[in-house]
Amino acid sequence: MEAITTAGTFFDGISARPRPVTLRLTFRLEIAGEDIARDWSLLDLRASETARPLMRVTHAQGPESVEFADDPFAEALKARCPDLNRTESEGGLTRLVLWSVAAGVSVLLTAIYGVPAASGLIAPLVPQAIEAQLGRSVDGQIVSLLDDPPLCNEAAARAVLDRLTARLAEGMALPETPQVSVRRHKIANALALPGGRVILLSDIIAKARNGDELAGILAHEFGHVAARDPMRSVITAGGTSFLLSLVLGDLTGSTVLVTVGQAAISAGYSRDAERAADAFAVAAVKRAGGDGAALAAILERITDADDEKPDAISFLRSHPFTAERAARIRSLAGEKPAGSGILSDAEWQSLQGICPKPVKPEGTKPDNGKTTTTPTKKL
Amino acid sequence: MNHLGGVPGPAPARTGEIAFDRRATGLTGIVVKGFLLSLITFSIYRFWYITNLRRFFWSRTVVAGSPAEYLGTGKELFLGFLVALAILVPIYIALFVVGLLSPALAALAAPISFIGLFVLGQYALFRGRRYRASRTRWRGIRLGQDGSGFAYAGLASLWWLGTIVSLGLVFPFMRAALERYRIDHTLIGQSRMRSTATGRSILLPWMMFYIVGLLPIVLSILALLAATGFDIPSDLLIQDPATEKSNLIFNPAYDGTPLAHYASAVGIAASVSIPLALLLIPYYRARETRAFLNAAHLGAARLTSSLKARQFYFPYLVYMLAVIGFIIVLGIIFVLLVPLIAKDGANPGIQAFVIVSTVLLYLGAILGTNVLYVRIITVRLWHAVATTMQIENLPALEAVLASTRAPASGLNEGLADALDVGGALEIGF
Repeated sequence: MEAITTAGTFFDGISARPRPVTLRLTFRLEIAGEDIARDWSLLDLRASETARPLMRVTHAQGPESVEFADDPFAEALKARCPDLNRTESEGGLTRLVLWSVAAGVSVLLTAIYGVPAASGLIAPLVPQAIEAQLGRSVDGQIVSLLDDPPLCNEAAARAVLDRLTARLAEGMALPETPQVSVRRHKIANALALPGGRVILLSDIIAKARNGDELAGILAHEFGHVAARDPMRSVITAGGTSFLLSLVLGDLTGSTVLVTVGQAAISAGYSRDAERAADAFAVAAVKRAGGDGAALAAILERITDADDEKPDAISFLRSHPFTAERAARIRSLAGEKPAGSGILSDAEWQSLQGICPKPVKPEGTKPDNGKTTTTPTKKL
Repeated sequence: MNHLGGVPGPAPARTGEIAFDRRATGLTGIVVKGFLLSLITFSIYRFWYITNLRRFFWSRTVVAGSPAEYLGTGKELFLGFLVALAILVPIYIALFVVGLLSPALAALAAPISFIGLFVLGQYALFRGRRYRASRTRWRGIRLGQDGSGFAYAGLASLWWLGTIVSLGLVFPFMRAALERYRIDHTLIGQSRMRSTATGRSILLPWMMFYIVGLLPIVLSILALLAATGFDIPSDLLIQDPATEKSNLIFNPAYDGTPLAHYASAVGIAASVSIPLALLLIPYYRARETRAFLNAAHLGAARLTSSLKARQFYFPYLVYMLAVIGFIIVLGIIFVLLVPLIAKDGANPGIQAFVIVSTVLLYLGAILGTNVLYVRIITVRLWHAVATTMQIENLPALEAVLASTRAPASGLNEGLADALDVGGALEIGF
């Protein structure tokens, strides 16, 4: 075999001192210099990454290496050394890619299916005291989110509301009687919080035409309380956003992805919870002697028609479309029962005065398009 | 000595040059591959991407004729990340639960977790540096780092406290103290590096930055505080009743009071000083890098640096121009797409096309800026620092002996990645 030679530098791996040597490539690599004589098998040579024309060749067993800058010599060496670029245990790139995709997909599936299912199992196990504590702190957050609306507590009306609450809650398997608070706000909505707390915003009372409608709304929220939905949504929101940020965490623009993804997952899950709460409300109002279909009427009244067109972001809706909900409520409610409903006219008049100075009728736009991640169950 | 050839002449060279090829052939491929694979592997590939980047930069940095070598692997970084996750996840969950359950503690939870994560971040920085040092080899000699991550974190926290208390005046002394700790615990083989970095050596550039960029803000805030008897009325800024509620305006009730003058002084000082401060950051960094490199030595061998501040400005300027050009190109593509969107979007085929092309445009924009950033900023800064550096009294460096210590574990760097501190490549030593 033709011998090629070049000048190089030898390093013994013990000191950083460069030692000039001559390299001679035949079927072995011979290294000769002052006090140095090496005869390396070509099978033992390993190249490390360098920029051409520099090249470093290390002996596979031991710390010694040579460096040289000679392109033809490097080419010849590459041609003759089968293992020159072998690195120990280089895992296949394909394997890495496939496994990480698999890991990501399984975390995503857990976030979509596993977490909501798990939160349904965990929520009933949360001790009463912790849930009540959580309810208190969420209550504070919600109130400050709504710009600290004043509490409405007109005594006579309050008594009617308490009676209505007690009557609705009577036949329900509630862990405790819900604490209903009313706050003056121009959004017609009601919210269920962890720990059996329910917030009614005064505009919903203003929009209700009779006691049965308000009872329907209240019973719907109690339905969430009975199913422990607020607690479940706390756990689901925490779990899914944690898992999603674990998977998508380092991609650019991931905050948006995580928020949208989390909203989509919890919304899809909450649409089912809404249907269940509607059914619960119809049953409870009927049991208390009212018209179950009244809930459908008030839902239609407070819904903005523009908000109801199916569009690209329909998957983000936390609630089913009102038309669909109303139809289901009416079919569940059946015939309107005889009688004046749950509340007498006098009681209803009194309840309407719960917020002593009624707000001026301003624009009555419901709170739409805002995907809050606060753990509440709205209407 | 022919520093590219790696062949020392008969007489040993007294000074060692450091070379780096700015053309960086092959780097774009690494960035593109790293970005795309990170995208489809839910960013797990980033550990291998970082490793590839480092291997590239290390191997192109030729110190006294011999290229450096990076020996780390992506797998080590990934394992370190998993270990860090095992430590951090319970901490995050505990903080989340505490914040949820106790409103009183929730107010405290944010500052407590910030301080905790800051200390942990300093620890992670030091440990990450240890990993990188132990995975660096030059002429068959591994670098290393000893010292304690906790000691470093404690030192850094105390100095930061002092910096805040002194309104930033002792900042250069903090930088020098931490630099001394880092360099004094850096080993090349068996030999320990030493740093004589002093705060005084960077006091001048810092004072310039401070007087122009920070002092006006600090003074005007102090004046405001003094004028109000250190009790700023909470309604000094109120929500603008005229427009959206998130828009803060100055409370008209305070018009004409001395308070108004001081508050507007704060506003003016901030609007002038913040842009100036941003402009002066590269200058300060270049000066600091040069001073600290000049202070580092190993026995009789010492580093000298002739780094110029303009070498730190130029890359940013080029990068800004490149990004502007890139945005113009994207804008043209977008303008070509607009007619399609404007035409009645009822056709689902066109809608899908528009969505897909928007996503592709977005990803392309991120990929493009990534490539530009690495190719312009990282490469040029690295090149500037490396090529202005020289090793004086090279034979003393060549006398170092390899160490028999085991290299540091790959777990060292995981925490830094999980906390997102420290980049893949840090310019400077």
